[in-house]
Amino acid sequence: MLVSFRWLQELCPVDADVAEVARRISLAGLEVEAMEEKGRDLSGVVIAEVRTRSPHPKRDKLTLVTVFDGEDEHEVVCGATNVPEPGGRILFARSGAVLPNGIEIVPRTVGGVESNGMICSEDELEIGSDAEGIFVVDSNNGALPGTSVADALDLHDVILDIGLTPNRPDCLGHVGIAREVGVLFGVGYKPRKAAGPQRAFAAGGSFQPGEPTTRLTSLWDTESETVGTPELPAVSVEIADGDRCPRYGAALVSGVKVAPSPFWLRYRLHNLGLRALSNVVDATNLILLEWGHPIHGFDLDRLRGSKVVVRRATEGEKMPTLDGIERTFTSDDLLICDGEGPVAVAGVMGGLESEIRDETTDVLIECAYFDPRSIRRTSRRLGLHTDSSYRFERGVDPEAIPRVLASAASLIAELGGGAAATTAIDRVATAHESKSIRFRPMRAAQLLGMPVSTDESLRILESLGCRIAEQSDDAITAEAPSWRPDLSREVDLIEEVARVHGYEEIPTAVPRVHPSETGTPGLLKFIDALRDAAVASGLYEAVNYGFLSLDDLRKARVPADAVALANPLSEERSVMRTSLLPGLTAAATRAQRHGATEVRLFELARTFQPSDDKLPREDTVLAIALAGHRSDWIGGERPFDLYDGKGVVQAVVDRVFSQAPELVPGEMPSFLHPKRSAVVTLASRPIGFVGEIHPDVGDDLGLIGRVIYAELDVPVLYALAEELGPTQARGLPKFPAVARDIAMLVRDQYSAGEIAEALREASKGLAESVRLFDLYRGDQIPEGHRSLAFRVTYRDPEGTLTDKRVDKVHALLAEVASDRFEATIR
Amino acid sequence: MAEPDAVQTFEDGLGEIRGAYAEALRAAGDEPELRLINGRYVGPQGELTKLLKLMPKLPGDRRRELGQAANALKQEIQATFDEALEAIHRHAREAELTGSALDVTLPGRWQMPGRLHPITRVRNDVLAIFVSLGFDVADGPEVELYENCFDKLGFPPDHPATDEHDTFFIQGHRSADAESVLLRTQTSTIQIREMMKRQPPLAIVSPGAVYRRDDDATHSPMFFQLEGFLVDEDVTFAELKGVLTLFLRRLFDEHIAVRFRASYFPFVEPGGEVDMSCVFCRAWEGDRARTAQCRVCKGTGWMEILGCGMIHPVVFENVGYDPEKYTGFAFGMGLDRIAMLKYGIPNIKLLYENDVRFLSRF
Repeated sequence: MLVSFRWLQELCPVDADVAEVARRISLAGLEVEAMEEKGRDLSGVVIAEVRTRSPHPKRDKLTLVTVFDGEDEHEVVCGATNVPEPGGRILFARSGAVLPNGIEIVPRTVGGVESNGMICSEDELEIGSDAEGIFVVDSNNGALPGTSVADALDLHDVILDIGLTPNRPDCLGHVGIAREVGVLFGVGYKPRKAAGPQRAFAAGGSFQPGEPTTRLTSLWDTESETVGTPELPAVSVEIADGDRCPRYGAALVSGVKVAPSPFWLRYRLHNLGLRALSNVVDATNLILLEWGHPIHGFDLDRLRGSKVVVRRATEGEKMPTLDGIERTFTSDDLLICDGEGPVAVAGVMGGLESEIRDETTDVLIECAYFDPRSIRRTSRRLGLHTDSSYRFERGVDPEAIPRVLASAASLIAELGGGAAATTAIDRVATAHESKSIRFRPMRAAQLLGMPVSTDESLRILESLGCRIAEQSDDAITAEAPSWRPDLSREVDLIEEVARVHGYEEIPTAVPRVHPSETGTPGLLKFIDALRDAAVASGLYEAVNYGFLSLDDLRKARVPADAVALANPLSEERSVMRTSLLPGLTAAATRAQRHGATEVRLFELARTFQPSDDKLPREDTVLAIALAGHRSDWIGGERPFDLYDGKGVVQAVVDRVFSQAPELVPGEMPSFLHPKRSAVVTLASRPIGFVGEIHPDVGDDLGLIGRVIYAELDVPVLYALAEELGPTQARGLPKFPAVARDIAMLVRDQYSAGEIAEALREASKGLAESVRLFDLYRGDQIPEGHRSLAFRVTYRDPEGTLTDKRVDKVHALLAEVASDRFEATIR
Repeated sequence: MAEPDAVQTFEDGLGEIRGAYAEALRAAGDEPELRLINGRYVGPQGELTKLLKLMPKLPGDRRRELGQAANALKQEIQATFDEALEAIHRHAREAELTGSALDVTLPGRWQMPGRLHPITRVRNDVLAIFVSLGFDVADGPEVELYENCFDKLGFPPDHPATDEHDTFFIQGHRSADAESVLLRTQTSTIQIREMMKRQPPLAIVSPGAVYRRDDDATHSPMFFQLEGFLVDEDVTFAELKGVLTLFLRRLFDEHIAVRFRASYFPFVEPGGEVDMSCVFCRAWEGDRARTAQCRVCKGTGWMEILGCGMIHPVVFENVGYDPEKYTGFAFGMGLDRIAMLKYGIPNIKLLYENDVRFLSRF
């Protein structure tokens, strides 16, 4: 919300500069996000008087103007068609002046005539939006040529941009912020009466007999000249839905002439972000900005039956709003109707047909209170968010209606040269009840952690507008002011006391924390340990969005039965991932495109699987992707393959379990290469899989080269960790080990792992380990065969092994190899 | 049978060896050469060995004497050999220690560790501080029920307070019904979940991904928050101030100033926002000119860092706690924002692109 500091000072003068006011209100919850000083960037722009004007000798559309800027006369070429007669005054930017848009005025030649300076429009000086012609100074303004424009037009102001929280609708107008300033600076705030209109009339027959009315004269602080009651059809107001429209007021102004507003009003609206249109509309906007209470002006002449009916729409009812769009309503929408049909969407936007136009002479001003939730639903349903709906959906002050009507009627009459009715219709369907709230200073002290005195609390609550209904030793009963819908329970008042007092006044203390017996759940600690293990094993952590496209899932051949979003931002991010594969491999590919030759990524995050429960299943998964080449400055480079994948999975798991997992053949997910992948097992339990991405999947996903991918099931791993418990120490061997190698030629169909296992089993418990140390294919090795060399470490826990005993067992191993695996021992 | 010539040959042999070995051994340039020369005297085919083979041919009366002489010579050769070998070693060591150095600029040979994502790093830093203060860590689902994300946290129905939470709903759930399923817009859902599960005293922090329908230069549709709360008897706003001030000083700098401003979140009251000294212009150092030019804090010296407040009694009522008996505070912060502040990350999008060039910085 944009706020004029100047206006604020008019409403509630305080002895503080703008920076101090901004600081105080910010600390109290009205956060000033930006400040802009107005009227400062206009040095070099002055009032000047037109001395002569004549057509440009060569260019039809241009005029030569001689102006006097208080010091000298300057000849200027001007393109506007509204240059005033000699004697008229305009805004003149001297040579050397820099306009707010950064343009520096320099002498230049236009059609052979030198132009010295520039005659400016509102728009060029950024003091208004009118770019049609130059700004002509009003004859009422007595500023002499040479006066700076900022002084002559009284442009000095500072505009505060306040980020208001949704609980403070009372501050959506200058009056509310002035009230807040008055409270914070301890100077109090009394809303002032509006200046009365010059001319007023007794409503008499202007309203239907029996309409409830309120007197506006007591809210005007000046006497008005009484004029005759105009001959107008009598107006009536009917509220058909008193829940959604508890109160509806209407004031009448007659005999106005719609015209542009005076500069001060246009300038104020411009600074506060609204476009000036005409005096009547501008007046309603100014009232909105002053009171924070939206009002609406109807052309009385076009209000059929001179009747206002506030009712819910019938399903499918239609009306064009004043932005020219035909709107269709539901029975949940509240409409303002005349005798025949809808004329406005209550609290949101007026209708096209009843809006104020140039011929309008009699204006019926609506000022109502609508149920915030109703307005919000309608506004959202129509996608129509206006200054009006913004305020109504937060809650305006229902009790301010007479005051706002008095201000509005007077202002419109004044600007339009009309007369205001001295009474206004004020129909109350549901009376506002102020909420009684019990406030215990002791409780406030307990919650805030500082002493809170009853006197201080009373002072603060009263200054905020609370009425003190009761007061005892330990409690105050306060009634919340009608403009503070956010105050309804004790803690609301405690916050008010704390806020006005200032949070900085609350001391700082250290709490006594009772740490829990259980501490952080083991799974969360386990996840952190896995993440650290992944990093220690050389992997970089990726973080991808939780959503992606269905197409990504399909291409990756991971489950495409996914949790879908109802309102995604785009197709690319429309379903929750069922696998980390698409995101992680895409990241690897992007890295390769950026020139990375060796990509080692992991992600530890959740996947989402549809379920029959209320919420989908969220599984935590560790995924690893290796892409490109593994390089070593002495070993050259080679593409990542399954064994890198196996190695990194073993490194990660080993770091957490002090035990490396194994790979076994098994049923593989379809996105992995059928011949280059395996199930990862630990303690014979499957914990995940690793392998090369299926080349077809790689093609579909646009991967570069063969990408190695692994996934570990985190909850399964954690359960295993719990089951296995901490690693147990083992006594050191007492007797020495003997190592023997065995090399053999075998067919490819036999895996190194099964051979090693068979050798170990054949050793009668003497082989402590059987480790592959060489694999060779090539010359002298027949096709479909390979040479495997194992190192067998023998140890007898009971005694020292003799060579003879080892020879015997080792020979047995060779026998097993040849018998079971058709191996040729080399 | 003794041969008188044998004595002569033996003696001559010893004499020759004695006259030559020392020089020969000392002339050796390196260990193999030395061993080669040594072998010529004492090896299996060495001259001394050959002489010793003559021993049986020596006359009995001379044999002992000549044998002793030969042994003495053998020991002399051994001693000279040892000496020469040591000299060679010493020389080689000397050469290694004084010769040309290794090229230490060649790359190291080891598998380097990877890197944690900057959000994880910040998350770990933040968690470590709170854990050291006695808080537990908790987590909860990212796909949530409307009631846990809004209703139970005290968001009034149809209220503009939900405007800042532009919510992703799961297909088939667009409404504001309690049972509607959505992507959580805040980690405050953990307050509800933990309080429904456990009884005070509670001190919990919970980091996690949250989702909002915002995607522009300064917003990412998924981002990370960290929620913290403490519930017990007699918890005060003063303690909230104490904990957060301590936290921010530990996380950023012990000298920063911290200020609390009133603000509004439906689930806390009194509610506030916390500003701290700008960490870009190091505002606490008091260099006014530097602060005046700081674009991050726009010259104010302050930056907004977290939201906080005393847990609203309506939240306690919704989870079945007695709000007269218990009080508590809660706070929330954006881990993305803290990561951006700490590591000078200019654009939130960088956090989710997983560009290895970016990740490798951390």
